[in-house]
Amino acid sequence: MPAIVEVRGAVKDYPLGKLKVRALEDVSLSIEKGEFTVIAGPSGSGKTTLLNLIGCVDVPTAGEVIVDGQATSRLSDRQLTKLRLHSIGFIFQSFNLVNVLDVYQNVELPLLLQGKLGAAERHQRVKALIERVGIGEHLHHRPNELSGGQRQRVAIARALVTRPALVLADEPTANLDSVTGASILDLMRELNEAEQTTFLFSTHDHAVMQRARRIVRMLDGKLAES
Amino acid sequence: MRILALIAFRNLVQARTRTTLLGTAIALVMAMLVLLLSLAGGIEDNLVFSATMLSSGHVTVAGFHKSKPTDAAPLVTEAAALRKVLEANTPGLDYLVERQRGWAKVISPQGTVQSGLSGIDPVAEWRLRDSLHLAAESDYVDGGSDEVRGTLETLGQPGGLMLFANQAKKLHARVGDTITIQTETQGGQTNTIDLQVTAVARDVGLLSTFATFMSDQDVRTLYQLNEDTTGAFWLYLKDIDRSEETMNHLRTVLEKEGYVVMDHVPAPFFFKFDTVSGEDWVGQRIDLTTWEDEVSFLTWILTAFDTLTWMMSVILLAIIAVGIMNALYNAVRERTRELGTLRAIGMTRRQVLALVLLEALLLGLMATGVGAVIGSGVALTLDAMAIDPGLDALRIILLADQLHLVVRPLAVGSAIVLLTLLTGVAALWPAFRAARLKPVTAMQHAE
Ligand SMILES: Nc1ncnc2c1ncn2[C@@H]1O[C@H](COP(=O)(O)OP(=O)(O)OP(=O)(O)O)[C@@H](O)[C@H]1O
Ligand SMILES: [Mg+2]
Repeated sequence: MPAIVEVRGAVKDYPLGKLKVRALEDVSLSIEKGEFTVIAGPSGSGKTTLLNLIGCVDVPTAGEVIVDGQATSRLSDRQLTKLRLHSIGFIFQSFNLVNVLDVYQNVELPLLLQGKLGAAERHQRVKALIERVGIGEHLHHRPNELSGGQRQRVAIARALVTRPALVLADEPTANLDSVTGASILDLMRELNEAEQTTFLFSTHDHAVMQRARRIVRMLDGKLAES
Repeated sequence: MRILALIAFRNLVQARTRTTLLGTAIALVMAMLVLLLSLAGGIEDNLVFSATMLSSGHVTVAGFHKSKPTDAAPLVTEAAALRKVLEANTPGLDYLVERQRGWAKVISPQGTVQSGLSGIDPVAEWRLRDSLHLAAESDYVDGGSDEVRGTLETLGQPGGLMLFANQAKKLHARVGDTITIQTETQGGQTNTIDLQVTAVARDVGLLSTFATFMSDQDVRTLYQLNEDTTGAFWLYLKDIDRSEETMNHLRTVLEKEGYVVMDHVPAPFFFKFDTVSGEDWVGQRIDLTTWEDEVSFLTWILTAFDTLTWMMSVILLAIIAVGIMNALYNAVRERTRELGTLRAIGMTRRQVLALVLLEALLLGLMATGVGAVIGSGVALTLDAMAIDPGLDALRIILLADQLHLVVRPLAVGSAIVLLTLLTGVAALWPAFRAARLKPVTAMQHAE
């Protein structure tokens, strides 16, 4: 299996006043197509930092992060944006939908940014995906008319609509009750199995870890895979 | 991109209070600007109207005749031949009239005023009767009635005289009174003629302080002119905007026909006596001017008004620009997480920039649109009300005795474009800030 993500000796320092905080220390990790992997670890261990590097919204201080064959530290902002748009789907802890757009428009947005699909094909794909994540009857509702679980389903549809090589989710269930959280995880797992979509997410919830196929443990910015 | 416009538009709707507040401010400035522009348009309209009735045709063909070098008679000899040349060679000519011009003391038993004389041909100048309006007696007689007296039907008939209300007032003259006109001929001889007031017309601004209408025959008599000598040819074109072009064309035509044409000096003929009498030549020279040249001493009014309009607008716009900048800056800050999300899922910096700019431009366009409608509405209403400004100084500046406003679509359109663009410019800084947001910092923003 080809690796979609290769992290090699990644270091990330954050400036903190005159000091530096080392959030990641020599992290190496490889994610292959079709994985359903959890990054687990206590608060402050560096999970979000690592996901940000893999998600191309940040670049490492040292070491290399290679996503879809491209070393991110050598890319311009424009190229990183393009890589995010075409290769990565994001699911956020607090959903981060565009409040003024309805469900359909939120899901359609990445396709419009890509500009690759014609109107008919786009419509078909968006509608099918919204049905697939189980919010077909809320097509024209705005995010603030939906429950947390429903919003996260919209976010999942938005992340998947471009058929990205990799879907990243930073604590996707942290703002949901445990039942809803479980159903969201089941949905992601289903999509992983049915479409071979690669998922990488972080959590410190044990119920979530149980559903993972692979767990990567972090502590104090270092990796302790199990 | 449609989706950006949609998001921008809905953001405006979402921030209803802010949008309404800013929009109202922009709309009010726009309405004020439209009002001032309409007033300026009205003044310009009045100037064109009064100038082309009292001072000049669209193009004036006149000149000076000198029998000795120190002379400067504002006359054209061999007028019939020149008339033929003009009639045959003026493209877009609507009609042409001859005006006899003079400067005289106008004397009544109770007063004297200085005024220019306009000697007209009553047949050729029938249009003039429609442009002038009889004044109510109360306009020029203290305690006079609201009735109008006299008639414009006999305008330009020998023996008759038409005064403007301001002159009648100073002369304590009424319709039917006999007035003495006293002039000095070129030779220094004093001539007088007695005329009867047949009409008193409503003032048309400053120029009507220096104009009275009488018959061309009577002016000829006063100045002892022969039949083939005239004061000036006033040429009216189908399109007044071609005045300058037509003047230049006639210059070449006349030179080819063998006339000596004076260099173009954009000033009224009565400013040219000194220069001409100081030049060393005799005979006839032709002078060509446009209506703008003949009233160039009045254009300061337009310039002053325009300056005032733009100065006020600039100050108000600066205030509004600061408001827009501040509001959008806050909007960007409030939406940091959303904008960061958009960057994360693949929106480019340029698209984020466009998003914020579009929001400002949409706001600007809608607000200026509303402002334009309000401003035009108020302008048209004020114009229809035909308000008397009440102050002579204002009447002079307005160049009319009534408030006149003209809404020019082109001016309103330009103002819309200008103000909308300005909103865009004011949004540049917040927009660049938004575009510079890093997707990662944006995401870290807690709810
Ligand atoms: N922008 C930043 N500036 C300075 N320090 C930062 C920044 N982001 C993270 N850190 C620090 O880096 C370390 C790792 O943080 P990170 O957010 O990756 O941890 P986490 O595992 O995601 O924690 P949590 O479970 O609380 O989300 C922490 O010590 C944190 O304080
Ligand atoms: Mg975290």
